[in-house]
Amino acid sequence: MMLALAEQVFNGVMLGAIYVLVALGLMLVYGVLRVLNFAHGALVMLGGYLCQFVFSHVIASYPLAIAGSIVALLPVGWVLERGVFAPLRDDLQNQVIASLGLVLVIENLVLVVWGPAALQFRLATTQVLVPFGPLRFSLQQFLVIGAGLACVAALFAFLNFTKFGTAVRATAQHPGAALVVGIDVGRVHAVTFAIGTALAAMAGSLLGPLFLVFPQMGDGPLLKGLAAIILGGLGSVWGAVIGGFAIGIVEAVSTLVIPTDYRDAVAFIVIAGVLLLRPHGLFGRTTRYEA
Amino acid sequence: MRSFIAASAAATVIAALSIGGSPARAQEHVTIGIVSATTGPFAAPGKFELNGFNLAAEEINGHGGFEVGGKHYLVDLKIYDVHASAAEGASAMQRLTTVDSVPVVLGELSSAAAAAEAPIAQDNQVPLILTVPTGPELTAQKNPYVFRVNANSNQLAKSLADFVGKQGWSPLSFIAWNNDAGRGGVNGMRESLPPNIKLGYVGYFNVGDVDFSSHVTNIRSSGAKAVMLLMDEEPGSLAIAQLRAADVPVQIIGTLAMGSDRFLKRLDAARLAGMVQYNAFPPNAPLPRIKAFSDRYKAKFGEEAHGFAAQSYDGLFVAIEAMKQAKTVTDGPKIRGALAHLTYDGVIGRIKFDAEGQADPPVYVTQWCDDGRRRILYPADMAAGCGAG
Repeated sequence: MMLALAEQVFNGVMLGAIYVLVALGLMLVYGVLRVLNFAHGALVMLGGYLCQFVFSHVIASYPLAIAGSIVALLPVGWVLERGVFAPLRDDLQNQVIASLGLVLVIENLVLVVWGPAALQFRLATTQVLVPFGPLRFSLQQFLVIGAGLACVAALFAFLNFTKFGTAVRATAQHPGAALVVGIDVGRVHAVTFAIGTALAAMAGSLLGPLFLVFPQMGDGPLLKGLAAIILGGLGSVWGAVIGGFAIGIVEAVSTLVIPTDYRDAVAFIVIAGVLLLRPHGLFGRTTRYEA
Repeated sequence: MRSFIAASAAATVIAALSIGGSPARAQEHVTIGIVSATTGPFAAPGKFELNGFNLAAEEINGHGGFEVGGKHYLVDLKIYDVHASAAEGASAMQRLTTVDSVPVVLGELSSAAAAAEAPIAQDNQVPLILTVPTGPELTAQKNPYVFRVNANSNQLAKSLADFVGKQGWSPLSFIAWNNDAGRGGVNGMRESLPPNIKLGYVGYFNVGDVDFSSHVTNIRSSGAKAVMLLMDEEPGSLAIAQLRAADVPVQIIGTLAMGSDRFLKRLDAARLAGMVQYNAFPPNAPLPRIKAFSDRYKAKFGEEAHGFAAQSYDGLFVAIEAMKQAKTVTDGPKIRGALAHLTYDGVIGRIKFDAEGQADPPVYVTQWCDDGRRRILYPADMAAGCGAG
């Protein structure tokens, strides 16, 4: 039983790292732009496709393929922010509808370009197995966890130790006040959306080699990412991190005692329980104009 | 100039009459309804299904169509992408049987969608010939307008259970789709397994899930001797990769989707070696009917033939044969009557529907050899070495 528990905790941490990346992107975009972007999962998927494409057809280097995916997705993020979400600023209802429409557009564009069959993303890191006592895990799983933690650290450093990061936090707290003190709120919005897009590309690039690259590959991470920011508290970086890892571990470990087809339900039951006790999530706070 | 035009016209007529002769006779078209999936999670199996229909239609039309009541008809296919959804399937079925007025509808991938389409077929008296869904209840409900060319999950399970029982692979675990195909398959196996085979861990996953780590852990903990993967190519390749990576010492048993060269490309010979799978259409079997179809399919689509394609190919020919025997291309009840009694020797084997509309095609078990080829293990009288599966 302990062996199974250890295996599932590791698997949960690995999945949690993906959820964290997705949750951070969602949280940043929602926290700063007040946009609940349901197309974020489609961006994760697009990131996976682009990384696979660069690796298979441009340069057979995984780090460069990830970089290529991020670079290629940034203009897409810019177009979405400027063309779709900026005109719908402060109109949450239409933003949600627009983002759901974008999911259909992006998924069907991918179908047209790459076809309906899932693509394989063969990497040496998925074949190299690392012994861990009597268990074995692929190098790619360790890479996902490491890259996830590195992104968290980089984002934390950016938000807390750079001038632009301070501007992002100020805009998140109160866009009007940020404007008054001379912050270019439009630029902050564009850069924040770009960072969110880059995180989506990173998540897709890490996820693709582990499993497959297919049009619905972002759906699950989107749902779990949303759950993570609700569990952790909307607007909290640490909330998204703890929430993402918690959901990954809870859903993986729960399968040791309950049927696997209920694992999604378990994660959401835990969220419901937490929200009953802490309506703003684990690390969420009520803001002055919200109370 | 006038003589030039007359000569040209004469040459055109002569040329038209000389091109095969038969196509020039076909003046009428009959439209057959197809429900399948070209987009979404079921697009990949849908492609194989449609390949079968398209190849059959091309061959029928290439031979000048078919004759009913002294008229020659060419076949047109009216294809609806219903995404394996019950709601979309019902809507498409309603449209096909009313607005499009087709005499027969074929296809479908999902038993749930087929179940929603079946009552509409009956209400509008248009035969529905299923070529892929395996849920046993689709024919067990005795809807007189529903026929199924392919083996249902009980028929598949019966053959496989017989094979597993002879191997003594106990306890037997499952990873299965959390839908009619997966749950139906597990139930079918559970009912068919001989007493010497005990059930181990049974885990279900939702369509679109790609992470099988939880199942791998549970299979290891359960001490299973074998695990059966009730799923198609894409999740199957992932489940096998994850089982092999975790070094779980189990015999892997797959479905017909896992016995093809395409599947080998997804993984490799080392990870597939020893794995067995049931199969409705081993494309390399040393049988003339199978070899001829496999060759034509490969020439047309550039890849190894697929069981779904073979079943769908036969399905369209069965529909045409029924119209010929019923001597009508419009009268649904007469075509249904002909379907109920016809016998057709297709590429998957002899197709003859029982009182519930279910055919009983042969089921094979093939095994991957160490070199990436396949052999036939079951039925025993069809057993053949590596390269024949």
